[in-house]
Amino acid sequence: MENDFTRRYIKLGARADIFDLPEIIRVNTLKTTPKTLFDRLKEKGFEFEKVPFLENGYKVIRARHALSALQEYLHGYFYMQEAASQLPAQILNPCKDDIVLDACAAPGSKTTQLAVKSKYVVALESQHNRMPSLVNNVERLGIKNVIACNTDARIFEPSIKFDKILVDAPCSGNYISDTQWFRRQSVNNFKQRAEIQKEILSNIVSHLSDNGELVYSTCSLEPEENEMIIDWAITDLRMKIVDIDCIGDKGLTSPFGEKLHKDVEKSRRLWPYKTKTQGFFIAKMVLK
Amino acid sequence: MALQDKNTGLFHSQDGAKMNFDVFISKFAKIKLEYTKIGNKYFLADEEMKELSKKLNCNIAAIGLILGEDKKDKFTPSIALLEILSKVSDEKVFVNYIGEIDFLYGKDLKKRHILRFTGGSKEGFFKLIQNEHDENIGYGKISAELTGSKAEIACLLDRGDFIRREKS
Repeated sequence: MENDFTRRYIKLGARADIFDLPEIIRVNTLKTTPKTLFDRLKEKGFEFEKVPFLENGYKVIRARHALSALQEYLHGYFYMQEAASQLPAQILNPCKDDIVLDACAAPGSKTTQLAVKSKYVVALESQHNRMPSLVNNVERLGIKNVIACNTDARIFEPSIKFDKILVDAPCSGNYISDTQWFRRQSVNNFKQRAEIQKEILSNIVSHLSDNGELVYSTCSLEPEENEMIIDWAITDLRMKIVDIDCIGDKGLTSPFGEKLHKDVEKSRRLWPYKTKTQGFFIAKMVLK
Repeated sequence: MALQDKNTGLFHSQDGAKMNFDVFISKFAKIKLEYTKIGNKYFLADEEMKELSKKLNCNIAAIGLILGEDKKDKFTPSIALLEILSKVSDEKVFVNYIGEIDFLYGKDLKKRHILRFTGGSKEGFFKLIQNEHDENIGYGKISAELTGSKAEIACLLDRGDFIRREKS
């Protein structure tokens, strides 16, 4: 299969193999332990295997029926969360004293992941119709330290600073998570998304504490929404990119002939055919 | 008028009594939960969290653990509140695996599902429904006395609601 997008990927030195993503869960250690959960689920015909690069992520290797039909799901013992999607919160790595901002929160996968390790998480969601999913997941997982706000990250003006911030920005997505992706997308859409991503970042970085850390991530493979945003953050927002311990390739420093800042390579891009995850991009930054 | 159980001191019937937050709690345990209210919803949040929320200058939809909401002036509990109550209440009915599955689909419980119960057994009493692992799966109202041969509990809220909410 070849199209405008796959030709772009070839220019970036990659390819666009299509495959089914493995089913991955994140164990909610607030409510249970992996051993307790898997002992119970083994009796019901389910088996799991640890994902080596995730703290609490496990791959389903045998399933008798849908995971969401399990009582253990209803009890909030686990969250169905794709492997790459578990990385941003893991890379942000908050500690028990941290007040964390999740700038684009619904449906709450990363919010609930961050909440396990943080003091408090402030979760912003701009779309009113996406709030119930966020609130439901917080309740199901028994999370007690989240404040959910129906607010657009671009206009959020708190009178406090945050120790850690996650900007898992709204993006164009990727062809592995969405089978209709190639048909739906356009390069123009990437550019429109990039403008929103810049608006979010430019406001949100002003709420980061002096010693704070910010993780920017998307589930897009498009340089316009990833490396080019990081390059802009380095030059226009005066952010410093830091090294991260994460699977994936180094960020691209010359996508489509554009010359980007050398530190952009400290970010990580997850090509699905290499990582066997959905497409993803992650960068960590601090104030200069 | 609310009916007080002589042994437990808990109030069981809601006849004539407005079902507000405190009345609901009193049906299960003699505890006081300090709540924060946003709109018609009740939340459990610590003081520091409440102070933090004042500094956010935005539209807060939820803070801490949701305890329930007023629907048409009547308090409706959250699953999270039932879980809290199940840790301190004696008003429990334990059900077998089949009963658990049926209840999670919103079905009423029958005599054959009930393993044992603690607390009151009379018609009209509210009971927390627990599975074999003593995990709360919802709550119901006794519609036929638990000691009788046709014991029955009407499902009022079950944990399967999480799935139904995802689909709505």
